[in-house]
Amino acid sequence: MAARALTSLPPWLRSGRVLIGLTIVIALAICALLAPQIAPHDPNEQNLLTTFLPPAWMHDGDRAYLLGTDSLGRDVLSRLIYGARVAMMVAVFASFGAMIVGATLAYVAGYFGGRVDALIGRAVDVWMSFPPVILSLILMVGLGIGLRNVILAIILVDWTRFCRVMRSEVLVIARKDYVAAARLLGFSHARTIASEIVPATVPLLITLLSLEMGVAVIVEALLSFVGMSVGAQTPAWGQMIADARQYIYDSPWGLILPILAIFLAVFGFNILGDGLRRTLDVRVTAQRT
Amino acid sequence: MLATVLTLIGRRVLLSFLILFIVSVLLFIVLRALPVDPAAMSLPPNATVAEIEAKRHEMGLDLSLPQQYLIWLSHAVHGDLGNSIQFRRGVLGLVASTLPATIELAVLAMLVASLLGLAGGLALFHVRGTAKEPALDLGTVILLSLPEFLWALFFILVVGVALRWLPFTGRIDPDMRLPVTTGFLLIDSWIAGRPDIFRSAIEHLILPSLALGIAFSPAIMRVLRSSLIDVYQEDYIHLARLRGLGEKHILIRHALKNAILPTLSLMGVQFGFLFGGTLLVELIFSYPGLGNLMVDAVRNADLPIIQAVGLTYCIVVLSINTIVDSLYVILNPKLRLQ
Repeated sequence: MAARALTSLPPWLRSGRVLIGLTIVIALAICALLAPQIAPHDPNEQNLLTTFLPPAWMHDGDRAYLLGTDSLGRDVLSRLIYGARVAMMVAVFASFGAMIVGATLAYVAGYFGGRVDALIGRAVDVWMSFPPVILSLILMVGLGIGLRNVILAIILVDWTRFCRVMRSEVLVIARKDYVAAARLLGFSHARTIASEIVPATVPLLITLLSLEMGVAVIVEALLSFVGMSVGAQTPAWGQMIADARQYIYDSPWGLILPILAIFLAVFGFNILGDGLRRTLDVRVTAQRT
Repeated sequence: MLATVLTLIGRRVLLSFLILFIVSVLLFIVLRALPVDPAAMSLPPNATVAEIEAKRHEMGLDLSLPQQYLIWLSHAVHGDLGNSIQFRRGVLGLVASTLPATIELAVLAMLVASLLGLAGGLALFHVRGTAKEPALDLGTVILLSLPEFLWALFFILVVGVALRWLPFTGRIDPDMRLPVTTGFLLIDSWIAGRPDIFRSAIEHLILPSLALGIAFSPAIMRVLRSSLIDVYQEDYIHLARLRGLGEKHILIRHALKNAILPTLSLMGVQFGFLFGGTLLVELIFSYPGLGNLMVDAVRNADLPIIQAVGLTYCIVVLSINTIVDSLYVILNPKLRLQ
């Protein structure tokens, strides 16, 4: 039964991994988009009479605060739901940005080769000599905190992830006969890249994009943990962890729940990327059928 | 043959210096874009505008950016990286006193990551094509989704707070005192003949290095597995089987030797990431290394420290990459022949 239901889906969806990943990601996206409607409380509303409440199913839990409250009596569930906004915004915009910058440079490097390739390769080397955490932190110092700057910093750090992997793929594709044929037909360089090379790299691009979204969630979480992300007024998962860490003995739940939220989001993107890598890769699919 | 190896390695070292130079320029530009005034920050809040101007002149902040950079560079090559704004001490001394702690942590974490990566990679390879493969595969995706700072917090919660098995703040018990010789506690405690301090240092290192090591192991597992699968496609494995050698012998004496090269080169890249990962782990475990110095400097906009610590991270990563690349050349006979 389940097997038949699976085969009626389009090929790229025919994988448990892709379905699990999509379910998690879509659920988080709904939380992010509809946060004001879903969240039971205002995420910044303080109530100093009900601080450190455990989740509702625990002994001293309160039904009004399903996942308990933090040190200022703010509702943890509402803060988690609003935190999904920051996480998803960063995941989507930063990874698309990194993809556009990284992939464009990879197409140029792989297609033209020679000096252009060497120059872009050196730029990647320079970037790679910096641990990503340190580079993003320094960029946030230079740019200043705020959602837009977090996204920009992640793009400026992570474009190399796309560039490195895509470049070697483009190198192979650019030497194929059909690319030479397109040039012989009189296609311009730009048109050859756009119509002959880009389509061949789309499966890899989608896989990398999904994995990068997971990375972006992690980077945002650690920046907000350090206090160098969106600022204290906007609820973010990393910031919730930083707050809860000081009260680890009073309320371990305040720490566990945002950790689970980050893990769930990253796992969703990773399992989706892993599944797509298998279903979109023509070589792997051909072997299986 | 030795000459070619030396040329290759020499070229790599030269490239590293070039990269370091470019990084230092970029770092200088990014940090000068800041909307803070280091001159005003190094004076008391009631300083007059004239005093601030005098300080700006003294600090060379009224010069052009390239001039400022050249002055900084000429000081830097003489070992003077400036003074911290908040601590009012030489930055180089601050870096030198915290770097050994970070290296100790990173090396131990890399050891954890390599051991786990090796064991996990062999296990993944062992179950290939069996019913257990999907489950172990899922396991690596879960591992990949848990960054080092989540492991760190998890260990503190479970091992530190709930079970109280191991300490989770600092480098040694706060009442222990040890004269600084090398800065590496594990070495200094041996020199001083203090096994109790050695033990305490190890205990304080276990949780941070586990958190960091586990987070970086799945990538090593996956590369080892896929390079083992590649190696097993080669003719010499079939030949070894035809010669009647046992599977264990083939794996250890023939396949692993060849599969370890790509894994080694990935581990070089991973070490770079891992070295950056120490920042968060140090912060969470209040471990007095470079990472805590950096975060402190970032929060207080202490530019000379940010610049020096940023460069230190870069120098360490470049050195590791150079060493790994050189090892790769020495160990790989194919590259030597060219």
